[in-house]
Amino acid sequence: MSKRLVNLARWLVFALAVLVLNFPVIATAITSLKSEAEITTNASLIIEAPTLANYAAVFAMADRFDILHFLTNSLVASLIGSALAIALAFPAAYAMARFNVGRAWLLPLVVNLRAVPLIIFAIPIYLMYQQVGLLDTRFGLALILALVNVPLVLVLLASSIADLPIEIEEAGRVDGAGTLRLLAYVVAPMSLNVVAASSVLAFIYSWNEFLFGLIMTTNKATPVSVGASFFFAASGGGVRWGVAAAVMILATLPPLVIGLVMYRQIGRSMTAGAVKG
Amino acid sequence: MSRTSRFEGRLLLAPLTAFLLALLGFPLLLDVVYSVSRVGFENIRAPELTGLANYAKAIADPGFWSAAWFSLRFGLIVAVIQVVVGLMLAVFLAPLFARRPWLIAFMMLPMMVAPALVGLMYRLILHEFVGAVPYYLLEIYGDFPAFLGRDWAFTTLVVVETLQWTPFALLILHSSYAAISPDVREAAALDGARGRRLFVYIDLPLMLPAIGITFFIRFIDSFRVFDNLYTLVGPGAGGSTTSMSIYIYQAFFKVGDIGLAVAASMLLLAASFVVLWLINRLTARKAPL
Repeated sequence: MSKRLVNLARWLVFALAVLVLNFPVIATAITSLKSEAEITTNASLIIEAPTLANYAAVFAMADRFDILHFLTNSLVASLIGSALAIALAFPAAYAMARFNVGRAWLLPLVVNLRAVPLIIFAIPIYLMYQQVGLLDTRFGLALILALVNVPLVLVLLASSIADLPIEIEEAGRVDGAGTLRLLAYVVAPMSLNVVAASSVLAFIYSWNEFLFGLIMTTNKATPVSVGASFFFAASGGGVRWGVAAAVMILATLPPLVIGLVMYRQIGRSMTAGAVKG
Repeated sequence: MSRTSRFEGRLLLAPLTAFLLALLGFPLLLDVVYSVSRVGFENIRAPELTGLANYAKAIADPGFWSAAWFSLRFGLIVAVIQVVVGLMLAVFLAPLFARRPWLIAFMMLPMMVAPALVGLMYRLILHEFVGAVPYYLLEIYGDFPAFLGRDWAFTTLVVVETLQWTPFALLILHSSYAAISPDVREAAALDGARGRRLFVYIDLPLMLPAIGITFFIRFIDSFRVFDNLYTLVGPGAGGSTTSMSIYIYQAFFKVGDIGLAVAASMLLLAASFVVLWLINRLTARKAPL
């Protein structure tokens, strides 16, 4: 009896924690489904007359603030940024795991980078970008997103490659395969799981990055994490809260869906990244 | 290890090394040079060396110290709350997660949302006319505080940051709790340990490294807080919510004082080295456990 009571308490705590932790998203989603008139009269969490009008309004103001443009910027920069982080870290991780080079200096340097506030590099990178014309470009933003993600990706890849059975690579060497062929045809296929899991996490971190998006872009390459706030001032006078809420939900949906579907890989990567760093 | 394979190894490191030199090494060099120069946008390519004046200016600025104090206090408080709450949830809910692992997905969702967007969402939720929180506080208590005013901004930010990142502590501590071998607990139970004693003398010591790591990660992340703070209050609340990152951002983008911003950056870098050194010492000492 008391055991069932404890179990009930666990479910209650769980439900309460989920509601409280996710409260910002839940409350914003609710507001986004109220009409503009209802938002001003009813601030509660109960919707009287649900409507999608706010979402329609977001897409209707594309001539001034184009949500699709911001979403595309985020998508392109995040994809390039995570792919680049993997492409740079994968050979390096292999070299560290198998050739024992770079473990003394490069690995600790990159790992410790996670503890350094990136604003330190923001100003010189801004000045550098200004000189070479990378300001307000998707590629310029992607380069920085790769930089942000390299530490985590490198830690995950290096530790997983070190755990692979070396015998298969040795057999490949005996058959005359060079390092690059081994990497492409033996190590990469065996690492697909880690590569996938770390790219997902890198993608989410890239999508959610804000500081560099704010500093390095003005309009052409603005990611949605920055562009979302533009809609707060969209109507000149007061904030159109329904529109703002709808924009925030649209900007949050991609990582939320990925997070729900791939929670296991993400959880494992986060844990491994924390413990092995 | 033969010489050719060492060479091959170096070759594989080359792309990453070049990338880091370009995007970290060179910027760091610029940081160092500009921090000892008088420099503005007009002489960005030919800064005029002036010595330590920028550092002196940063150190003499009360705003610099209040930003440092804000970040330190914020990071410590938030990290402690997150670890304590995360630990309690992880242990109490462990039986649920053991049977239904997917339940943890809902706890992880807050981490998927951009902190900048979370800050914006709270602007809506805490808004005096359209926000749900003031609405319900008014219904229940008949009053609500000025969440983003001088007196409340710090507390509000602590709650915002804690709600978003306690899931991280929960996740790490849950996996460390779940990794404790049942044999250990059975052996302790045979010796008569149960309930709270089992937790304090068996589980807690075994989880200590994970607790330490979680604390440091959360501290570092909250110490450099920028996104949610910027979107929710900016430098508002009478400057009482200026973190180190916000201070540097403003020195550069609002005031245009490159030298000051860069000198403050270098001081922040030095501070992070101190923290890193502390972490490495502490974890090195823990290693034999």
